[in-house]
Amino acid sequence: MTQPILSTNNMPFCPGCGHGVAIKNLAKALEEAGYSPLDVIVVSDIGCAGLVDPILATHTIHGLHGRAPALALGVSLGLSSPGKKVVAIQGDGGATIGLQHLLEAARRNVDITLIVLNNLLYGMTGGQMSGLSTVEFKAGKQITDDTPPFDIVKLVHEAGAAYSSRITSPGDFKAQFLEALRAPGFSLVEVACLCPSHGVKKLKDLSIVALGDLKLAHEREPGRAAFRPTEPLFAQDKPERPSYRSNIKERLGLLIAGSAGGGIQSAARLIANAGILSGLHVTMKGEYPITVGTGFSAAEVILSRDKIHYTGLEHPDVVVAATEDGLVKARSRIHAHTILVLDSKLKEEAFPNAVYGDFQKEAGKQGAALSAAARWLVQEGVLQVEALLEVARKHKHGEAMVEVLEKCKSVEV
Amino acid sequence: MQLIDGSRIITEACVRAGADVYVGYPITPSNWFYAYAQKRFPLFLAGPDEISVLQWMAGFSAAGRLPVTATSFPGLALMVESLNMAHMMELPMLIIVTQRLGPSTGSATTGAQGDLLLLRGALSGGYQIPVFCPSNFEDCWNLTYEGIKTAIRYRTPVVLLTSKEMVMTYRSFDLSSLPEVKKVERETPKVELPYQSYRAGADGVPPFVPLGDATHQVRLNASTHGNLGLIQKTSDEAMANTRRLQDKLEQHIPDFTFYELDEEPGADELIVSYGISADAARDALAELRRRGRKGSLLVIKTLLPVPPAVLDILEQYEKQVFVEENLPGLLKELIYGHARRKNIRSVNKIGSMITPSEILM
Ligand code: SF4
Repeated sequence: MTQPILSTNNMPFCPGCGHGVAIKNLAKALEEAGYSPLDVIVVSDIGCAGLVDPILATHTIHGLHGRAPALALGVSLGLSSPGKKVVAIQGDGGATIGLQHLLEAARRNVDITLIVLNNLLYGMTGGQMSGLSTVEFKAGKQITDDTPPFDIVKLVHEAGAAYSSRITSPGDFKAQFLEALRAPGFSLVEVACLCPSHGVKKLKDLSIVALGDLKLAHEREPGRAAFRPTEPLFAQDKPERPSYRSNIKERLGLLIAGSAGGGIQSAARLIANAGILSGLHVTMKGEYPITVGTGFSAAEVILSRDKIHYTGLEHPDVVVAATEDGLVKARSRIHAHTILVLDSKLKEEAFPNAVYGDFQKEAGKQGAALSAAARWLVQEGVLQVEALLEVARKHKHGEAMVEVLEKCKSVEV
Repeated sequence: MQLIDGSRIITEACVRAGADVYVGYPITPSNWFYAYAQKRFPLFLAGPDEISVLQWMAGFSAAGRLPVTATSFPGLALMVESLNMAHMMELPMLIIVTQRLGPSTGSATTGAQGDLLLLRGALSGGYQIPVFCPSNFEDCWNLTYEGIKTAIRYRTPVVLLTSKEMVMTYRSFDLSSLPEVKKVERETPKVELPYQSYRAGADGVPPFVPLGDATHQVRLNASTHGNLGLIQKTSDEAMANTRRLQDKLEQHIPDFTFYELDEEPGADELIVSYGISADAARDALAELRRRGRKGSLLVIKTLLPVPPAVLDILEQYEKQVFVEENLPGLLKELIYGHARRKNIRSVNKIGSMITPSEILM
């Protein structure tokens, strides 16, 4: 004989409240299924249904209004010892405000039994209607509102629950609770309840105003939490000695701007990595609209002999723009001393410090920005082309970059 | 040197410190955390919304796991009620908040420092959550570890408050310079029998036993409760328990007080900053000294609760310059409220990072 699930028979509800009947049935079902109290974790919601904790000999966790199924999902997937049962209890108000949580637990078929004690109204706050209040019940209260209720039994079934049922008949419904507890995965039992204080007072009325009895099931594997070992995101290797030269003395800020899909971000990362191989400190950040597939794309790279603290780049020393999109984006940051490296197609406008080249023609739309940036950096001795090539060769899709870099020296400027 | 970003460093530090579950909801500029966590965390779950995220995390935490998420203001706003719950239940977890330009949806890909006072006021009644704020990559590593340690040691949610520019900027960085991070081990709780989930010893922290324990009945509660974890309205026991939540953190602040002080003898001006503005402040200080002027710099890394040690430093300086990327000066307001104070200058800005020269003006 297992220990009793209830620590008392005195229910914390109003006299005649249907919640008490349901809780006693639940306790009997848990005992019959062979659970001892410390095998069971009861997750309770806010509302009259949430008053159960003190009468339970189980583990209890009492959370927020409507969130019991979500809290229960975390508990269920987080438990490390097998053979435990997580039972969540909420009312129709909780099921309304937290409907997403029921559907999500059902969709994942997480091992939880959710009991929804549906008294067709908000009991604790004075008897207001919930999303589960039926039209018939509202009519009986002279409330003109023909909005139909959610049928949560059907909804969680559609979402994938292993088991869902509704009970409107009085008395002994331990058997349905047992079925729910034994279902592999998520199970829901909605129990239509009397609420003598605000709602239905007689059992014979309950079957008239509540949605009818129903039982639905799926054969599905329960959703489990697969904790797995993983590899570190990086190695903490000692840095290698820089193997390439750079002639920069001052901090150099580069703005590379172009169109989405123009290889801007990868060009900037390549340059930053080549900077590291040349013994420089570097920073790199990208800027692009939320729609990464269209519009501009820009990236800032700072190369420096000294450690870089501030990573902002108000006035870039060099602006590389391979397309109109890029030039438009960079324009507001061009100043008297900014050096511009531009595609020949942008020649119509006269900039004082501009260098032009046929980068688009030579390297294509995707390679133009890299071609232009590399051309200038190598020509000025900021980076050796070999440093850039070494990074490109290590890159997963580096072949195209290698080709662009090998050709960039021959682009006429 | 390696080219690396702050999101990667923080994610790695989480797992090394023993975090085992990441519950995510995609939101810019926290998306890199989401991507790295998918690879690195022993368990990764995609929540359907941020309320679910925090509820799932609370469930995992109650079952003895150490969950992490990363979000930004819109997600944090949805989490606030559940954050109150996690605080009240005393559940360890780490919430990374990546600040972006607000109000409302604002500009998702622009950094900001706008959420400090939301975090200060997030708990009804003014109770506090430790908020740590990294100012560079070393902090990203160390404060993540300290965050998880603090969460477990004091049974509390901890927030790591960062910003787009910290977690989405690549830098050359020597990863071998970072100290080793070891798993934060949970002490086997010294349980007095019968176990009561909220009966605390002298340190104010109740021993933690997870739900599902085979010997002790565990009761956790988000409503006002007594030692046993059962609802009590305003009984003496319940009020003592609620007061303990305040005392628990206050009495241990020195254990998690982090700041950086670059003090120059004879300086009467102190630059005060945090997070992404700290680097501009560091450069500004160096420039100031190059110009032959004296100055000191305080970078605050434990923002909440405000550490007394930080107030001690502030009291030593006649002139102060508060540097932060928001308009009203949230850190200044946190410390001085609306009191009119002479000799305090504020450097504020939105939409782009504060520059070193703006601090020197
Ligand atoms: S108000 Fe209604 S549902 Fe709540 S305890 Fe009383 S009878 Fe039961």
